[in-house]
Amino acid sequence: MVNLYQNIVDYLKNAPEVIQFLWALITTLILIICSLILYLKHSRSRLRIKERIQKVYQKKYESDLIEYLYAGNEDNEISVEQQQIVNYFKKCSTNRLKRKLIITTLLKLRNEISGETADAIQKLYYQTEMMNSAAAKLKHKKWNVVARAINELTQFEIKEVHDQIIQLINHPKREVRKEIQMYLVKLFHFEGLDFLNILTTPLSEWDQIQLLEILQKFDDQEIPDITNWLNSSNDSVAFFALKLAKIYNQFEAKDAIISLLYHPEKEMRIEAIGVLSHMGAIEAVAILKNNFDQLSLDEQIAFFKMMENMHEAHDEEFIIPFMNHVNFDIRVSAMKIVKAIEIKKPNAFKIIPSEKKYPENTALIKAS
Amino acid sequence: MSESRKILLAEDNSILSLLLKFKLEKAGYDLIIAENGKEAIEIIEKQKPEIILTDVMMPFVSGLEIISHVRNKLDLITPVIVFSSAGQEEMVLNAFNLGATDFMAKPFSPNELVIRIKRLLQ
Repeated sequence: MVNLYQNIVDYLKNAPEVIQFLWALITTLILIICSLILYLKHSRSRLRIKERIQKVYQKKYESDLIEYLYAGNEDNEISVEQQQIVNYFKKCSTNRLKRKLIITTLLKLRNEISGETADAIQKLYYQTEMMNSAAAKLKHKKWNVVARAINELTQFEIKEVHDQIIQLINHPKREVRKEIQMYLVKLFHFEGLDFLNILTTPLSEWDQIQLLEILQKFDDQEIPDITNWLNSSNDSVAFFALKLAKIYNQFEAKDAIISLLYHPEKEMRIEAIGVLSHMGAIEAVAILKNNFDQLSLDEQIAFFKMMENMHEAHDEEFIIPFMNHVNFDIRVSAMKIVKAIEIKKPNAFKIIPSEKKYPENTALIKAS
Repeated sequence: MSESRKILLAEDNSILSLLLKFKLEKAGYDLIIAENGKEAIEIIEKQKPEIILTDVMMPFVSGLEIISHVRNKLDLITPVIVFSSAGQEEMVLNAFNLGATDFMAKPFSPNELVIRIKRLLQ
């Protein structure tokens, strides 16, 4: 063995420098790989232990929760057993992992059931003061902690923190803003949209879609006055208000939408034309017709699309010259409008009685 | 009368199963819990419950497959109540086509479930 070691040392000593370097490199790499394998093995076993501990705690919290739900008095007062569980949960919630597990357990059941059991779970959330700790996190420096706290408060439908949350509506982080918007709309429905009055940060297209999706689920579809939002200096808010006007047919806001036809942003003007067309606002046709030459090409195309549904017989004179317009969309729309006007005209199509006689037929009838 | 009436619950949410077990046992029923569809089918074949409560989405074998197995393979007329979540309306229709007796959309009231079970077992 000693000889073998001596031989290796001699071989390396006498080997050229390149070979020596390569051997050193191989040895280092082997050492790195071995230590990485050991580290992976250690972290895997640590994760497994953590998972096992989590399972044990989760099972314990699940049975405690069920016990809490069934240990209540008939007179709605908290029983001794319930108080013990509340105290235990309160103690556990000081640990981050345990608090997370308790919250998961409560939500796992609350999301599946309704009625008095769901109310009892929410009551437990208050009693264990986890609601207070979530509310306290709203002032945390880290944005992800704030976002998670808002998400938790939304899931437990805690309305009391509304005033604290609304103050963060223009938070620099998009994720926090999104959570706030979800909180307001999920809990306060259309009234929650009041945040649009003070929103100075952009409301992304995706955020708008998500808000509309939530709003459509509510039974109460009474939408507040959207005029303020249409006149908002925040363009994304005005765009969102236009979507609301279209979906919920807000005819009361027609004048405010017409005023958007003079908005400095071209996209806004085009969107407004689309919404006015959807609402059948005939006043908009006259305004756009008068300013037609000042409109951009896209607006002109939108206007012609609008005219396809809102034309009148006297518009024909205005439309006919556009049948030879350089733009294909305008040309097609103009042709469609003229065709529709022509069809509606009285006696546009006449059945001309044929003067021609068919002597062959008469002859055949006579022969039969 | 109803003390020994066996009910099978096929549900992968452990805490919901636990809650329903307490609730139904309090109402005088014997609740057998299956954590997945495969386990549920085995229990149905062996223990022949009087009513089956099943979630639509479950690991291994779905609620729809359970209904199909009960109605087509075992040829049983056991009442089946299906639990569905939001966005699973099409699955509920499929469940009825396969022979489900009733359905409850999640979140549901456990008290309402007890009433429905009582009515079906009358």
